[in-house]
Amino acid sequence: MKTKFTMVVPTIKLYDYLIVPIQIELDDLTIEKLQMQLLNEISEKKIRGIILDVSMVDVIDSYISFVLSETAAMAKAMGCHTVICKIQPQVALTLAQMGIKLKDVFTANSLEGAVDILNRLD
Amino acid sequence: MDDKNFNDIDININDYDIVLKIKDENDIAVSRQMAKSFAQKNNFSLADVTKIATAVSELSRNIYRYAKEGYIYIKKKETEPDKDVSIEIIAYDRGPGIENVEQAVAGGYTTSERSLGLGLSGIRRLIDSFYIKSEVGKGTVVMAEKRRRRF
Ligand SMILES: Nc1ncnc2c1ncn2[C@@H]1O[C@H](COP(=O)(O)OP(=O)(O)O)[C@@H](O)[C@H]1O
Ligand SMILES: [Mg+2]
Repeated sequence: MKTKFTMVVPTIKLYDYLIVPIQIELDDLTIEKLQMQLLNEISEKKIRGIILDVSMVDVIDSYISFVLSETAAMAKAMGCHTVICKIQPQVALTLAQMGIKLKDVFTANSLEGAVDILNRLD
Repeated sequence: MDDKNFNDIDININDYDIVLKIKDENDIAVSRQMAKSFAQKNNFSLADVTKIATAVSELSRNIYRYAKEGYIYIKKKETEPDKDVSIEIIAYDRGPGIENVEQAVAGGYTTSERSLGLGLSGIRRLIDSFYIKSEVGKGTVVMAEKRRRRF
């Protein structure tokens, strides 16, 4: 299979779930490319659940939050649920204090927890 | 060099530890990384480092998005050595300015298509003191200060 889109984050397919460990700086261009990549992977690989591991992401501002939620909403329209897992406590605190809610996503504090959530949704 | 004088705020760039020009999208990420390491170096708590970096990210993005270009100034302030340390951040631009500052700062208001309108209101909640001056056709200055907590 040929990929026609830029892969900004290498992903791992597990059954029909896609694990996405984000280990790069999420500048605006990167996160937009990541959004495109994920939507393409959902349709090409018949993904029914995405797990975004953000344990390495140390700043999530309002725009990154917006794009993450937007991506999850688009994925949902394609029949795919999104779980964000291992968000750093201080990042969660900052988002809460700013009044930012991650819409259309589930959250988990471990990969296993994320898989459990997706399994229960089926 | 043009003076960084905007209304009643007089910014002497020599006073600042970090002076960063924001004009590319990538400068947003650079500014938050610099803010993060500066706060870390000055022994701010992990939570406060994250808040400072996030606030700078919001300010840089506003400059890039609404004014096209501008500056971020960051400095450490201390009254006595090792006492009452704080970090001051200034975002300065000569962009279009904000028509209704109160509305912009209240939150939930945005002129952007893909945005939450929670940047300025969020910064206000993350830091200890906040000041904004904006004039249509002149530009915008935001000043934010975060004190170091003692343990
Ligand atoms: N530096 C700036 N120059 C001009 N307008 C600005 C600037 N910063 C903010 N604004 C205005 O204030 C609004 C609210 O900003 P903000 O709270 O950061 O939310 P958002 O960027 O998501 O819209 C923006 O939509 C914009 O209209
Ligand atoms: Mg903003």
